[in-house]
Amino acid sequence: MEEQIAELTAQIAALQAKSGTTNTMFAETFYYLTIPLMIIIHAGFLAYEMGASRLKNVLSSGVKNILAFAFMIPTFYFFGWWVYWGFPTGLPGAPGPAGISGVEYANAIAWGWGESAQYMGPNIADQASGVFFGAFALFAATTASIMSGAVIERIQTVGFVILAVVLGSFAWVVAAAWGWHADGWLVTQWGVHDFGAAGLVHAVAGFFALGVLINLGPRIGKFNADGTANHIAGHNMPLTVTGLMLIIVGFWGFLMACVIVPGEAWSWFADKPSTIYGTPITLSALSFNILMGISGGIIGSWVLTRDPFWMMSGALAGIISTASGLDIYFPALAFIIAFSAGFILKPCADWLEKRGIDDAVGAVTVHGTIGLYGVVMLGIFATGYPALQGAAGEAPTISLIGQIVGAVVFFLLGFVPGYVVSLLLKMAGMLRIPEGAEIAGMDMVKVPARGYPEGIPAPGINLAPGE
Amino acid sequence: MGFPYDEASWSVVDGAMFMGWGSAMPGFFTLIAALICLAVLVFGQKTEAAKTRQFEK
Repeated sequence: MEEQIAELTAQIAALQAKSGTTNTMFAETFYYLTIPLMIIIHAGFLAYEMGASRLKNVLSSGVKNILAFAFMIPTFYFFGWWVYWGFPTGLPGAPGPAGISGVEYANAIAWGWGESAQYMGPNIADQASGVFFGAFALFAATTASIMSGAVIERIQTVGFVILAVVLGSFAWVVAAAWGWHADGWLVTQWGVHDFGAAGLVHAVAGFFALGVLINLGPRIGKFNADGTANHIAGHNMPLTVTGLMLIIVGFWGFLMACVIVPGEAWSWFADKPSTIYGTPITLSALSFNILMGISGGIIGSWVLTRDPFWMMSGALAGIISTASGLDIYFPALAFIIAFSAGFILKPCADWLEKRGIDDAVGAVTVHGTIGLYGVVMLGIFATGYPALQGAAGEAPTISLIGQIVGAVVFFLLGFVPGYVVSLLLKMAGMLRIPEGAEIAGMDMVKVPARGYPEGIPAPGINLAPGE
Repeated sequence: MGFPYDEASWSVVDGAMFMGWGSAMPGFFTLIAALICLAVLVFGQKTEAAKTRQFEK
């Protein structure tokens, strides 16, 4: 009898070990797969920007976008990851109540040297740090790509890369530490809830771009002497629209990466997934609400524009406007909010253009304005919901005031660094290319390749097959 | 809107967790969303028909 009990005990232990291994492998694979999905966002932004560029600038827009991605990864490795863990409670980086923040904690896990380096490289006992780092690095790269589209056809490459690093490896990371971390002061003190990063990724990046655009100025020919704007059409609208659709595909990975899987030592729950705040969520919730958000945004944009560029931008706006509450919105409500976001999108972009801002792809409006709109909308509809995991009466709750405070902070974290750093670059002569180079086209000046070496047939010319 | 605000803790929620659960709000939101779709289609047909009529021979 005792032998049988001992045998059963050993079998249970073996099963538990196997189950644990399976869960750990699942968790690692879950985040690993979000990384290539998020790289699709960059494929989308690449196509989107190149399509929105005129023929003379198409490759230089691509070079800029690709280079931003490349610099984002190492700089996020060097210091961005450390900023996220070091400053959720603000300056000077004191530890928070959840015990996973503060400069001392960040020093122990997020530097690429000393004892900390064991968590920043191959480690058979650590199947989490690399995939978490990868997912966050791709969030960072997304912010850079958002800004990248707004400034096409006249920015200097190195100046742009510096701006991308400031945005992707610092500005949005501070916003994430404050509003997207269980110890973040915006969360613990104000109950800010931004599950899908409408404010802390999209709005920060959008308003960073606005700060840059003010110093960068419009493209030559964008505005007339009386202040009226001319439409500068990109060379390939189908490529732009396809790029936008790819961004939508990639956002499934982005939002998937916002989920904490269960059953691991670092999980909030043993049996159910959670948000980064420790509140419950399911992938089914995301499926309902993302799809309804995309649809609402497209339909809302179609009403006023009938333009596929703005319709696909509306799809993005639909996701972004509902991103803060994708975990708790009812799908029909998500549709209604997304519809309203799609509806106001083009008027908001026109309003900005009338003020002399040349945002080539509408990034400030789609990501900035709609991002803040989404953060505030959640405050209207979700007031009273717990913003964080915690015992009854102890967890901070979502409120309209809290969401507005969060929106203001996200705006400032984007706009101020964008404006200040771009002003410094302008003073150093590193922001805008010379007028002659802009007129000649940046591809001819900077890129030793041609986007269309055989040219593009002129409209109205009927070519025989094979010609 | 359906959430146990008095407790204000997720620990008491073990099922539907969206805004409005347990009230008439989900049905109301669904109705509004459906009406939006319908209104957009009616408006879309009206405006597109007006545009295409300009090209009638």
